[in-house]
Amino acid sequence: MDAVKSLGKSLVASPERQLEANSDLAIVRRVQEGDVAAFDQLVLKYRGRVYGVVYNMTSNREDASDLTQDAFIKSFQSINRFQGQSAFFTWLYRIAVNSTLTHLRKNRLRTFFSFEKINEDDKVSAEVIAALTDNTGADQETFARELQEKLNEAMQKLSIRHRTVITLFEIDGLGHQEIAEIMNCSVGTVRSRLHYAKQLLQAELQPYIRR
Amino acid sequence: MNDTPRKTTVTLEDLLRVKRAEQPPVEFWADFERGMRAKQLAAIVEPRPWWAPFIRVGARIARYQLPVGATAILAITLFTLREYQPVNSNPVFESTVTEMGNHVVPMPVASKLDVALVMPAATSPVVAAAEPAPTAAASGSRTVQPVPSAATAVGAVSHVAMVNAELSSARYMADKMADNLAAAQASDSNLDQMLGHSLRTMDNLPPRSEPLAQISVPGESRLYRLLGGSVQSVSVGSGDSALRLNAQAARHLTERRISESDVISRLAVGGNRLTVKF
Repeated sequence: MDAVKSLGKSLVASPERQLEANSDLAIVRRVQEGDVAAFDQLVLKYRGRVYGVVYNMTSNREDASDLTQDAFIKSFQSINRFQGQSAFFTWLYRIAVNSTLTHLRKNRLRTFFSFEKINEDDKVSAEVIAALTDNTGADQETFARELQEKLNEAMQKLSIRHRTVITLFEIDGLGHQEIAEIMNCSVGTVRSRLHYAKQLLQAELQPYIRR
Repeated sequence: MNDTPRKTTVTLEDLLRVKRAEQPPVEFWADFERGMRAKQLAAIVEPRPWWAPFIRVGARIARYQLPVGATAILAITLFTLREYQPVNSNPVFESTVTEMGNHVVPMPVASKLDVALVMPAATSPVVAAAEPAPTAAASGSRTVQPVPSAATAVGAVSHVAMVNAELSSARYMADKMADNLAAAQASDSNLDQMLGHSLRTMDNLPPRSEPLAQISVPGESRLYRLLGGSVQSVSVGSGDSALRLNAQAARHLTERRISESDVISRLAVGGNRLTVKF
């Protein structure tokens, strides 16, 4: 069992992630021992990231909210079965991603978009929007909304698995190994899907790419 | 936004960073917290269904579905191949034994019916004994060669054994053909006998005659009985009794005519008179 635990921990990418995983495990142990309130710490810590992943997979804020809540509830119900063989956030992400995949498969024909606003304080996005509107003279807010719609349309044109990979890698910033753990596939598969998804997105978003 | 430094190139990663910047407002999390709390309480209060453990067990078994299914298909295939393996590569002759006098002749099934049809039942009983290998079917003058049985063909048959079996089979077939020829000749003689008997029987039949000639003319009494009514009325035409009968008949005829139809006839018979109305 110790070997399995060490293997699971070795899959965590960086030392920061290792520390994070250790602290999460301590909180999980407390919850397992009956300290239900300790679970709120985990919710507060991961709700933004989990919501971001689910939102970028569904492009619907209401669905994303429900699915994020469901993922936390499921993890709370099953927390006694969590043995620490992987990082808590990997386990939580897996629950969230699987719930979202199930939801997307069930509602494949029903797709409604409802977008969040682009955070104006984010420097990189501000730079990108400024660069794209530099010569056109268009209103940045209007252009930002248009770009947001195009980005979400391009994401929705990807298959569910490709969308998941690109979301976890490019938007959430996870490593290949972590994505492979979450999606229960090999690292090679992750890389392949990532490459293919990027190719498709590049083709879809060609008018917005400046070289 | 206008104070941000200029960026000349925009890559796909940059565009996806814009996507990353899509974040919910702060007040969203208050609603999220409230909904989360409600769901958490509901999950604690709500009893788990009785079949929940079975789902867990099913999920564990599900990962072995592919190997178990493949093994089952392989086992069924092997079993089927073993069960339906051809018993013998050589043709197996189903033969019948026809006893003709003191001569036992193995005959093919196809010729059995023909022989049975031409042979009289009393004189040549046909013994239909379906024997796959008539090894012991031998009469005093003839020994029938054995045909390799099904048991010897199952499993691995060596090449020499197969050649021997083919030779013996060919010899057996030749014997059978000779026997069939003899049986056919015997049946021909029986057929001749039967045909001769039937021809003789036909000779003893009476000579053929015309059907109308066979009908006898009825006698006079019968003729009179058949034509009694009309003959009677004609024969009693004279005398009182004849007149009385004639009058009765005429009255009866008139009454019947009147009762049957409303048409009044121009002829009327009354007593000795016949009235004709113009």
